[in-house]
Amino acid sequence: MKDILEIKNLSHAYNQGIPTIQDFSFSLKKGEIVAILGPSGIGKTTLLRIIAGLEGVTHGEVTISDKIVSNKNFLLAPEKRNLGLVVEDRALFPHLNVERNVMFGISHIKKRESLAQEYLSLFKVAELSKKYPHEISAGQQQRVALARALITNPDILLLDEPFGALDKNLKSELYTETKKIFKDKDLSVLLVTHDEEEARYFSDRIIEFRKDKIIIR
Amino acid sequence: MRFSKIFSFWHSLPFFILLLFLSPILIILSSVFTDYSENWNHIYEYVLADYIMNSFILVSGVSMLVIIIGSLTAWLVTNYQFFGKRFFEWGLILPLAIPPYILAYTFTGLFDSNGTMNEIARSVLNLQQNEVLFPNIRNIYGAIIVFSFTLYPYVYLICRTAFLNQSRSMFEVGRTLGLSQASVFLKLALPLVRPSLIAGTMIVAMETLYDFGAVDHFAISTFTTGIFRTWYGMYDLTTAMQLASILLIFITFCLVIERTSRKNANYSTVGSNFKPTLVKKLDSFGSFLCFLACFVPIFIGFILPLFEILNWSLRFNAGFFDKQFFSISLNTIFLSILSAILCTFIAMTINFSIRYKNSPTIKSINPFLNIGYGVPGLILAVGIVQLFVFLDKNILNSLEGYFLTGSLFGLIFAYIIKSYALANTTYEAGYQKISQTIDDSARVLKSKGLNLLLRVHFPLLKTSFFTSILLVTSEVVKELPATLILRPFNFETLAVSTYIYASEERMVEAAAPATAIILIGLIPIFFISKMIRTSRIEKSE
Repeated sequence: MKDILEIKNLSHAYNQGIPTIQDFSFSLKKGEIVAILGPSGIGKTTLLRIIAGLEGVTHGEVTISDKIVSNKNFLLAPEKRNLGLVVEDRALFPHLNVERNVMFGISHIKKRESLAQEYLSLFKVAELSKKYPHEISAGQQQRVALARALITNPDILLLDEPFGALDKNLKSELYTETKKIFKDKDLSVLLVTHDEEEARYFSDRIIEFRKDKIIIR
Repeated sequence: MRFSKIFSFWHSLPFFILLLFLSPILIILSSVFTDYSENWNHIYEYVLADYIMNSFILVSGVSMLVIIIGSLTAWLVTNYQFFGKRFFEWGLILPLAIPPYILAYTFTGLFDSNGTMNEIARSVLNLQQNEVLFPNIRNIYGAIIVFSFTLYPYVYLICRTAFLNQSRSMFEVGRTLGLSQASVFLKLALPLVRPSLIAGTMIVAMETLYDFGAVDHFAISTFTTGIFRTWYGMYDLTTAMQLASILLIFITFCLVIERTSRKNANYSTVGSNFKPTLVKKLDSFGSFLCFLACFVPIFIGFILPLFEILNWSLRFNAGFFDKQFFSISLNTIFLSILSAILCTFIAMTINFSIRYKNSPTIKSINPFLNIGYGVPGLILAVGIVQLFVFLDKNILNSLEGYFLTGSLFGLIFAYIIKSYALANTTYEAGYQKISQTIDDSARVLKSKGLNLLLRVHFPLLKTSFFTSILLVTSEVVKELPATLILRPFNFETLAVSTYIYASEERMVEAAAPATAIILIGLIPIFFISKMIRTSRIEKSE
C-alpha cells in the first residue's frame, strides 16, 4: 500500500532550544489508522502540529502525498495541505451554528448545505444543525467536529485526544461508530492519545513515545 | 525566513503603524538638536524655573493626596462592612467621568467670591455681600485639590485589586505579632501594595503634567501652559517643541519607573495558600467614619461639580439646547466615532497580525504602539503640526496650499495615537479568551489572513469591538489640548466650546457642553463598575 505521509529524521525544538522531538521517522499508509501513544509533554501534539503545518521543523522533512510540505527551509501553509484536524476541546466556532460550522471549510462549494446534512446524518447529529455549540453536549460537539473535519475530504485526518473529554460509555460508542466511518471511507488517520485502551481499540498500529525511546508496535 | 514572508502585509503593517505613531514624537525630540532662539534664552532665564517649580509642587501635592484618598478608600471597601459599601465599591470611580478642566470650571463657579457656595453661605449666615467664607480656589493649591479629586480613582482601582489579592493569613500573623488594625494597614498592607501604589500614582502624575485646561483656567505657569504660550503668544514653534522635549524626556523617565515598579510587582500572595480577606463588620460609629471617608471624595469629585453644572443649566433657561450646541455636538460625535472606529480597526488588525503570524518581533512592537497614551495631547499636537507641514511642503507640494495642515486629518490622527492603548488593551483581553485551537482548526479548514479575521475573529471579538469604540469615543470627547491646537478654523467640539466659554468667564453657557461631556464620560465608568461588581462576586464565592 502507498505511503500517504512520510516523516524522515524529524527534529523539533521550541525557541528555548530544548528538543521536543529528535530524529523521528515514520510513515502512514493510505487507509491506515495509527495511534501515537504517550504521556503528556512528550511531544505527541507537537508532532501533530508539525504535520498540520502549524509548527516548523528544525531538522528532517515531512512528505504528504509525495510532496515535501515541511523541511528546515520550507513550510507549506496548513490551509494548503488538505488535512483534517480534531482537537480535544473540539474548537467549534462558537458564533456559528452546527450546520455553519460543518460548512466552514466548503464555503466555495455550491451544494454545501446538502453535503453538510449528509455528514451530519453520518455522525447522527442532523437534527442539531440549527443549534449552537454551547447548546449541545460534549459528545454531540465531538461528532460535529468530526463531521466538519471529514467534509473537506482530507488526505489525512489528525486527531488530538479527540475523546479525552468524554465519559467511558460515550467513548466506546463513538469509537465503534467513528472507526467504521473511517474504514468505510478508507481514510488515513493519525490519532494522538495518552489512553492505551483507546489506542489499542481504535488503531491498526501503535507508536509509543517514551521519555528515552520510541517503540513501534 | 523568506523575503516575501518578512514583507507580507500582516508582517509589515505593525511596522508601518509604528512609524506613523512615532513620527510626531521623534519630530518633537529632534528639536533638541536644533538652534536655540532668543525666546528660549528668555524662557530659560525668566520662566523655566517657574514651570519646573509649579509642575513639581502640583505633581507632589496631587501624588500625596491621591495616595491617601485612593489607598484609604480601597482599604476600607475591601476590608470592612459598612453602610453604602456596595455602592462605594464602584461609586468611588465616578469622578473619572469629569475631566479636571470641568472640575476646575465648576469649582471656580462654586468658590469664587461671588460663587454659589459663598452666596449660599451669605444667605444662610446672613453675612454682608463683601464677606467671603470660602477661600480663593484659583491658585496652585486649588489645582492640587481639583486634580486629586478627579484622578484618585486610578490609585483606588489599582489598590483595590492589590488589596483583594492579599491573603488574610499575613494580617493575622501581623496581629499576633502585636500590630493594631491601623498598623496592619500602614506597616503591612500598604508596603505590600507599594508597586501598585507607585504605578497608580505615576498615572496620576502624568495626567497632571499633561493637563492644560485646568492649569490654564487657574493661571498657573506649568510646562503645558508654557508650551501653549510660546507657540500662540510668541509664535515660536521651535522653542515650544524644545520645551515639549524636556517634558517628554521627563515623562519617559516616569514611565520607566512605572514599568520597573510593575516588573517587581510580584508582592501578591495569590496561590494555593491564598485566603481571601474576611470582611469585618463595624459598629455604627466605625461605619459612619468609613461612610464619610468614602463619601467625601465622591462628593467633591462628582456630586459638587454636577450640582454646580445643574445650577448653571437651570439658570441658562431655554437656550440650553440651541442650534449651536447641536452643531457642536454633531461635530464631536462625528469626530469621536470616526476616530474610535479607525483606532479600533487598527488595534484589531495589529492584534490579529500578532496572533496570526505569531512572530516575536511583531509582538515586541505592540507595547511601543501604546506610547501615544503617555504623551500629552498638547505635545502630540505640536508634533503632528510639524509632521503635516513637512508632508504638505515636501510630498504633497503639487496641491495648492495646505492639504493636511489645519485639516481634520491631524485631529483624527492625534486621537488615534492617543487612544490606541485603550483599543489595544480591549483587543488583547478579547484575544486571550479565544483558544489557539480555534485558529488551528480554521487554518486547517483553509481559512487564512483576511478570511480568518472576518469569518472567525471579528465575530468572536464583537464585544471587544464595541467596548473599544465606546472607550475611545468617550476619551476623544474629553480631549482638550490636542483639539484646541489641531482643529480646523472655526471648528468647535464640546471640549473646546466648554474651554472657550469658561475662559471668557461665561460659566453658565459652559453648562450644556460640560453636561454632554460628563454624560459621555460615564460610559467607560459603566464598564469599569461592571467589572468591579464581577470581581466582588468572584471573591465572595
